[in-house]
Amino acid sequence: MIHLKGVSKTYQPNIKALQNISLNVKPGEFVSIVGQSGSGKSTLAKMLFAEERPTKGEVVIGEWDISKIKQADVPTLRRQIGVVFQDFKLLPRKTAAENIAFALEVAGEHSARMKEIVGHVLKIVGLEEKANRYPRQLSGGEQQRVSIARSLVHRPKLIIADEPTGNLDAIHAQEIIHLLKKINEFGTTVVLVTHDRDIVNGLKKRVVTLQNGEIASDVARGKYVLS
Amino acid sequence: MLRTFYRLLKFTFQNFFRNFWLSFVTVTIFVLTLIIVNAMIFMNYVADRALESIEDRVEVAVYFTSDASDTLVKSAQGYLLGFAQVRDVRFVSAESALETFIERHAGDDVILSSLDEVGNNPFGHSLVISAESPENFPFLLEAIETPEYAPFIEEKDFTNYEQVIDNIKTLNDRVRVGGYILAGFFTLVAILIIFNTIRVAIYVHRDEIGIMKLVGANDWFVRGPFLLEAVLYSVLALGIVIGLLTLAFNVLDPWMARYFSGIDVNVGTYFMQNAVPIFGTQLLLASMLSLLTTAVAMRRYLRV
Repeated sequence: MIHLKGVSKTYQPNIKALQNISLNVKPGEFVSIVGQSGSGKSTLAKMLFAEERPTKGEVVIGEWDISKIKQADVPTLRRQIGVVFQDFKLLPRKTAAENIAFALEVAGEHSARMKEIVGHVLKIVGLEEKANRYPRQLSGGEQQRVSIARSLVHRPKLIIADEPTGNLDAIHAQEIIHLLKKINEFGTTVVLVTHDRDIVNGLKKRVVTLQNGEIASDVARGKYVLS
Repeated sequence: MLRTFYRLLKFTFQNFFRNFWLSFVTVTIFVLTLIIVNAMIFMNYVADRALESIEDRVEVAVYFTSDASDTLVKSAQGYLLGFAQVRDVRFVSAESALETFIERHAGDDVILSSLDEVGNNPFGHSLVISAESPENFPFLLEAIETPEYAPFIEEKDFTNYEQVIDNIKTLNDRVRVGGYILAGFFTLVAILIIFNTIRVAIYVHRDEIGIMKLVGANDWFVRGPFLLEAVLYSVLALGIVIGLLTLAFNVLDPWMARYFSGIDVNVGTYFMQNAVPIFGTQLLLASMLSLLTTAVAMRRYLRV
């Protein structure tokens, strides 16, 4: 699903965010990428949906080579990847359903099909009853669930969640992780970027630890090892 | 395709109404610019019609000496009629000139008594020439100075008309230059305002743009609403200007018919008959201008 080979990213003037990263993620895996602030985990996540390009090396997602992808192909790639952020990235003037539909709208989806898909993903995240609420009328956890629902509309094979629990309390954070696990059980590959020790330890899944832009450890049923 | 266009339109109108006051100012400036452009077309048309009408009425009189026989003057009339530049040559006899003079000064005893003192008819025959164009007069007046007629020509009356036409043309040219400067100024203001409006619109929609990109909108889907908004400004402004012009012509046309009595100056009909070239060109130019400005603003501020 994901193949990184000798990937480095250097920002000007000479800030090395990632150095010689090689990593393989199989379809259906749930991988946590952990590391302290500045370890390069967000840069790595951004590379997976072509928000950043590697300075050196190869990043392949499915059949897409991110290091060589044309700008015009990026939207097509992004429709095949679901992305979830810490700050939810919801439009305040749109309801939960409209926020989700927005992802389909920009892709030119038919209105009737759009309604069907929105209803379906809202059911997956358990928010059918709150479809017509605006983000300000939802809790942080619910907003993140809307964001996850939006990431699911194109039936992605890969979901990248960059600190999805960063703005949530422990209970809501567990809800979100539970939801991501459920999505993973349906066969979707999940890459979770986090620095939350409890979440990582509770998952009992593969953990890749980044330190100073390099992979410090990669353990199949790992734990949060940083102090 | 149609669905995508419909959605682009939806986002365009959302942009327009979310920044309503900015959109309002942009359209207003566009309206002012187009009003000036149309006022210039209007002035040009009225001046041209007035000039044409004056030029049609310009006649030049060639006065012959009192000893020139009517045979000689009529021969000069025939000679002049032979020129293609001549529309008509009217023979005015000495007797008829005297009658006209007496009629014109019927109440003026001093003038009439001086006529009595002279005793005989002091007027000679004359020819009144109408040319196809006033520009032909210098040539015709030159042409009549043949050895046969020149000794009998007392006076040629043209200079005043030439001056009047020149004055109108000069005034029209000055108004036109002023119009160009004003239209240029407003165009510049319109460019700056559109640029700023689009810049603000991009800023206001930065979150939405970011999310659009995140969920896989292509570049044109992001740029489309801004470009359509630019066209919308032009279409709206032109629509308002056409409405205002229609109202103005309803008031102006009857007033101008009275003011320019005898001259056919129906501006409303002129604009109506030439609506496609006049307003089509304006729509095209205004849209191109706003699209270009928007493109520059997007290039500078929109990262897709």
